[in-house]
Amino acid sequence: MKTLETKKTIALALLLSSSAVFSTAALSDAARGLEIATQVNEQDNGFIDSTSTMNMTLINRSGKKSERKMRALTLEVNGDGDKSMSIFDEPADVKGTASLTYSHSVKPDEQWLYLPALKRVKRISSKNKSGPFMGSEFAFEDISSQEVDKYTYEYLGDDELDGIKVFKIESKPAYKHSGYTRLISWIDQERLVPVKIEYFDRKNAALKTLVFSEYEQYKDKFWRAGNMEMTNLQTKKSTILRFSDYAFQTGLTDKDFTSSALKRFR
Amino acid sequence: MKNKILVASLISISAYTLPAIAEWDIRGNVTAQLQEFANSAPQSESHTSNVSLSGEIELYRDLTDDTSVIITPFARIDQRDSERSHFDFRELLVHHITDSFEWKVGLGKVFWGVAESRNPVDVINQSDAVENGVSADKLGQPMINLFAARDWGDIDLYILPGFREQTFPGEDGRPRLPVVIDSDSPRYESNDEEQHIDFALRLFKTVGDWDIGLHAFNGTARDPEFVFNTNTGKLEPFYYQKTQIGIDAQATLESWLLKAELINITADEVEDHIELVTGFEYSFYGIAETDIDLGVVTEWLYDDRDETTNPFQNDLLIGLRLALNDEQSTDALLGVISDLDGDGEILSLEASRRIGSSLKASIDARYWINQPTDSPFDNEDYVQFELGYFF
Repeated sequence: MKTLETKKTIALALLLSSSAVFSTAALSDAARGLEIATQVNEQDNGFIDSTSTMNMTLINRSGKKSERKMRALTLEVNGDGDKSMSIFDEPADVKGTASLTYSHSVKPDEQWLYLPALKRVKRISSKNKSGPFMGSEFAFEDISSQEVDKYTYEYLGDDELDGIKVFKIESKPAYKHSGYTRLISWIDQERLVPVKIEYFDRKNAALKTLVFSEYEQYKDKFWRAGNMEMTNLQTKKSTILRFSDYAFQTGLTDKDFTSSALKRFR
Repeated sequence: MKNKILVASLISISAYTLPAIAEWDIRGNVTAQLQEFANSAPQSESHTSNVSLSGEIELYRDLTDDTSVIITPFARIDQRDSERSHFDFRELLVHHITDSFEWKVGLGKVFWGVAESRNPVDVINQSDAVENGVSADKLGQPMINLFAARDWGDIDLYILPGFREQTFPGEDGRPRLPVVIDSDSPRYESNDEEQHIDFALRLFKTVGDWDIGLHAFNGTARDPEFVFNTNTGKLEPFYYQKTQIGIDAQATLESWLLKAELINITADEVEDHIELVTGFEYSFYGIAETDIDLGVVTEWLYDDRDETTNPFQNDLLIGLRLALNDEQSTDALLGVISDLDGDGEILSLEASRRIGSSLKASIDARYWINQPTDSPFDNEDYVQFELGYFF
């Protein structure tokens, strides 16, 4: 048994080193990393707009669960980060609260929050990228629009994860105020979508693992994960984010993504 | 055959109306409140403890693709104060959207402003002062509102037919002034009294890091002056006519929020004057590698009149805002408003935390300190506890 494991390890090491030799010959690891990230990003171009329902389950250390429910609307912006709106349905005390984000690749995002009890729209700072989204294990930067320019990349090699051939990429945030030194992403070679991401905190210690599953393809082109599970390795808390009711090209326009439209959405 | 048509139409009608009932989107809360006062007030055999129950339900439905209706009744039942036991429609609005405009007709609620301590630009709705709440509670305002979003900005036009009087605590209400405000005997400058039609206009635009609003208002002032009635021994609110123009602006610069609200009031019955609230909020995010955010809020409140009933004529707010960003959304805001002309300080604490998925507990405390002798609020220090069920 042990010999078999060793053999496997040696075989894997050989495989990895040979592919590494091959890629350095072709491209530097940084260029190869950027190339893969660009491919991942480009294959999602042209979705125009999308809507979905998100159910979030927060699980604490002792296994106690609490639920969040929200709807998300996204508008693709060519040449910049997307515009997005989130409307909260649960818990009941925040029902109707909505947020609007104009995301940008490197300059700070613009963000507004609508508080329905006061009928007040507040412009808020987007600096708090590492803060928890709705008390969950997802930080704001984890769920914001992913743009190529937001990171610098390094191709670490090919790998296999649960029988799926993957590229292993390291990315370092190029934007300010990130909670991470680096991320390691396992990218499905065939579908060009992330299967797993590991996050390293400011002290470069392993912080969180995000596993994507239940991928479905929409409009014969766009892959979306139906399930994302984020586990905090340091606190042992986790959050399961489930997506449903995905719709694409629903006819949303710029007019639906303004601070005045925030007040209107139900 | 006729019967078949009748049955078929009955089925189609019920098929239309039954799901229609289910189409109402309903949300709201029922909240129990306990107020504890540190001292008994000298003015009567006043209580030091009071309980009340409030409820608000928001009913919303789409009538067509472009038209919706929203109905938001609110009611409070108070143990002691008959003025505080009250009912109001916060909203009773029909909202119609076209490609280029939005119309709202009915009773509505509008918020303008950027500041935390006080919003002088927020002029549309009357305050439901008897609520004494953490959030600035407002009475539903009769309005016809036309809104248009254009490249050069958002424009809102308001016709406000009908005035709502401010609510005040009654003889058994607390906290209140030693002299009762007689809300049954309002006085008006205009002969049209509460029938006076007011107008308002607001322009709003985001320019990079700046959110800027400009407004103009003509009509009945929401904040009354007071006249002492020697016969009844009560203060009577006097609602004067005013023309107000103003600006509100916020710059959002990473950790800094810079804020200002400035208004100019022209009136016959009160001195022409300006009111200003300006300051900043600076936030420390994720302090000491935790999820906790701490914000520092500082605002200067100013009124340029020589003699004024505005208690915030030259005051400074210094506050700390704490957000734990935990599963229960625990928040707290501790603030001190100091009168820079030496008339004491008001210390306030607001904190809230979710319990389970449907309950929310909150505390609101207020202490008047270093008050001048004979200050009306010397004995009104209180703590208010609330437990709300949300659905």
